Amino acid sequence: MPFKLFDIDKEIPERKKHIYVKDEHNCEIDCNKSTIPGCMTERGCALAGGRGVITGAVKDAIGLVHSPVGCQYYTTGVKRYPSQPQLPNGEIFPIDNFNLKYSFGTDLKEANIVFGGMKKLKEAIIEANKECPFASAIYVNSTCTTGLIGDDVDAICKEMTEKIDKDVVAFNTPGFSGVSQSKGHHITNDAVFDRLVGTKEPPNTTQYDICLIGEYNIDGDLWVIEKYLTEMGLNILSRFSGDASHDELCWMQRSKLNLVRCQRSATYIADLIEEKYGIPYKKVDFFSCEYCSDNLRMLGRHFSLEEESEAVIEKYYGKVKEELEWYKEQLTGKKVYIFSGGPKSWHLSIPLEKELGLDIIAVASQFEHSDGYDKMKARVKEGTTILDDPNSLELEEMILESKPDLILAGIKEKYLSYKYGVPAIQIHSYENGPYIGYEGFLNLAKDIYNNINAPVWKLMEFKTE
Amino acid sequence: MSVNVSGRDRQVIINPLVTCMPMGAMWAVLGINRGIPLVQGSQGCSTFVRYHLARHFREPIEIAVSSFHESTAVFGGKKNLNISLKTIVQRQNPDLIGVVTTCSSEIIGDDVYGFVESNKEELKDLGHDNTEIIPINTPSFAGSHFVGYNKAVDALIKNLTVINENNEGDDNKINIIPGLLNPGDVNEIKHILDVMHVPYTILTDISETFNSPLNPKKQEHPYFGKGGTTVDEIRNISANKGTISITKYAKTGAETLEQTHKVPAVTDNLPPIGIKGTDDFIMTVNKLTKHDILDTLMTERGLTLDLMADVSARYLAGRKVVIFGDPTLVTGLTSFIIEIGMEPVMVTTGSEEKTFPTDIENMSKGQNIDVITEGDLKVVEDYVKDKDNGVELILGSSEARFINYDTGIPLVRFGFPVYDRVGYHSQPIVGYRGAKRVVEMITNEVLAKYYEEKHWKLQQ
Repeated sequence: MPFKLFDIDKEIPERKKHIYVKDEHNCEIDCNKSTIPGCMTERGCALAGGRGVITGAVKDAIGLVHSPVGCQYYTTGVKRYPSQPQLPNGEIFPIDNFNLKYSFGTDLKEANIVFGGMKKLKEAIIEANKECPFASAIYVNSTCTTGLIGDDVDAICKEMTEKIDKDVVAFNTPGFSGVSQSKGHHITNDAVFDRLVGTKEPPNTTQYDICLIGEYNIDGDLWVIEKYLTEMGLNILSRFSGDASHDELCWMQRSKLNLVRCQRSATYIADLIEEKYGIPYKKVDFFSCEYCSDNLRMLGRHFSLEEESEAVIEKYYGKVKEELEWYKEQLTGKKVYIFSGGPKSWHLSIPLEKELGLDIIAVASQFEHSDGYDKMKARVKEGTTILDDPNSLELEEMILESKPDLILAGIKEKYLSYKYGVPAIQIHSYENGPYIGYEGFLNLAKDIYNNINAPVWKLMEFKTE
Repeated sequence: MSVNVSGRDRQVIINPLVTCMPMGAMWAVLGINRGIPLVQGSQGCSTFVRYHLARHFREPIEIAVSSFHESTAVFGGKKNLNISLKTIVQRQNPDLIGVVTTCSSEIIGDDVYGFVESNKEELKDLGHDNTEIIPINTPSFAGSHFVGYNKAVDALIKNLTVINENNEGDDNKINIIPGLLNPGDVNEIKHILDVMHVPYTILTDISETFNSPLNPKKQEHPYFGKGGTTVDEIRNISANKGTISITKYAKTGAETLEQTHKVPAVTDNLPPIGIKGTDDFIMTVNKLTKHDILDTLMTERGLTLDLMADVSARYLAGRKVVIFGDPTLVTGLTSFIIEIGMEPVMVTTGSEEKTFPTDIENMSKGQNIDVITEGDLKVVEDYVKDKDNGVELILGSSEARFINYDTGIPLVRFGFPVYDRVGYHSQPIVGYRGAKRVVEMITNEVLAKYYEEKHWKLQQ
């Protein structure tokens, strides 16, 4: 049977269509659907997908959450999104890692629920601007509360943009929108496109200008790719949105080619830009040496920078090649699950097998759509379990059934996995990243090796002899 | 007046020191043996809490959610709750589900009490009647996580505790409502009671559920953390000799027990932090139970005093300290900071605790203390960065790490959340032994920061 119903799911048989053990039939996996209430899902909400994933990475904008205090509290400095204070005009932003250090919120109370929160939002915008007059923009997120009480956040932001003479942008991300974080990505892509793209012009342009879209600089990933691309002669005009300044988002229309790294959270804006401004985009993948080299070569061909791209590949691949071969020898045959939020399950499955010798026996995603599952299916061997929106009880059952050597997952699954004796590393936020590019792939190999081989996992049993 | 009370001078919150009600309620429910919180709301309301608790405790945090989507906003959350309860009961068979409401469910007007009642019938018909289902109203906009915790503990007591007509039960057993203390603190309170041979029920006990041993062979599936207060224990607390609420923000449950079951409530004491706070706690237990205060505790007290004598005048005297966090912990630590001869110059909690300024005023002995009500982390930052204030030490959570990086002023971590160091959740700050640990942490930070430059002063 290609679809699998876990024992723990016998009371919720609809889960069966979400779990496919790959066979020759290439069955369609049920995905991007509402979660079964109470099933111990790992999914989050639209606010997490919007502010958490995308706008929280912008380094010079005030993030203002229009909500009771919780939504602001939870989205403060949680994603590993470092940023540097350099701005495109050469100025230095006065606070480094501003996006990690500060969050702003309207702290709605009972009276605001009854009488509306718009007045408070206006005051908050004015006060936030007064506290940080140097900020380039204010990004306002609406939430479940403000969605339900009907605050017109768009109108307030429009009014305030004129009043403070600075972009105040509304992101309508009530947590209940859509089935997962994924809706928040989409809303945020649309808002950035509608409200910002095309509103500014870059200080100068070249024929090598590109936008790096869907790269959020998790643990410094963006800086690795940026280094490669810059060294081969490309000019990163905009980042969407890792280590990005607000202005960069406003001139994305001037790119010559858009590169889409996280294809789940950011293909929307690349499509919109292509449609309106005719700028083509390419889906890129820099995870692992082979994908990284393939994609650098592709860019070399596109911009007629073949020699330059080869030089970059040689320089950086050369630095890690030998060490990676050693890790491959050590890791060959180890069984691994990849439980990612979105596309890392299909980014990493082939590289981990081919370049590190690992045996991928399960892949999963919290919020992928059918195009993502098509790639996931195409990139695993028969017999691999593919799960959509897995819940923690299914993870437990899988571990007990097919005890893997390692799980790549999030912090919520990590400690659960430990309790059943299986090491786990954080693949959303990383352990000792960056994980992208050549040196990143070596970091990942080291973390995988160190976790699988940590002596603690061999000390679990108290031996009496 | 030596205490200056002021509010935040702006409405916008910059880096809050508190979160909203539901997290407190989830915390309390996770202290129940085989208990599961079910969040009646959007997925973020559970997943963010799981993330924050997991990174602090480095433990699995299993919380269910009824997954509100657009249709729920239109049609209400009855169906979501109904499916959730059935799914949880059938798959995990917990002893208790705490249904934690959110801003969404409260705004759309879900009658959670009514929903739960009708579901109980349905579950009974399905042959599942051994799971207690407790509705807990925690509209996020109506209070902080401290208030949510209080509401949850009270809801558990109101719904579970039965009249003990025969007045049966352990002699001299007492109830403790610990508040949002760390496992290490709850363990220290248990240690004091164990030394005094006083039996107790902790309402609720997260000391093991948030700090579970790694022993894969014995790990049950579905996962429940080890330990926690059993539902049966809570049923039977009405005959106990008294209830001590360690924190002021979580005293409603103690008051309920007093009003409904005549269990004396002790709710307004200093927390057992520092010497006087711990003395008071032990005297309270002694008065309630008449159990002796044994030498073991006096030895612990003496060891802490011995260290205080060693370091207080020599290294700590007059140094200026800023303290922020949980109102009870800040109150206790302020008292203790004064006991070790340091000077608390500014304290803030971010919470709505009304008596906080008075409590600080009552313990100040001529020091000038700035008390900022409903502060946020930016208030702390601005104060610490103002050189005129001469701050030499910060006591607070990991959230202040950037202030520490920017200024070099040492940060001694306590409370929640501490995610950038290890061991803080499993070690106490309460009791005499906790006090000793606090003095050690503070002194070592002071030595590293203020003495290493003139290292010869450290020779003896």
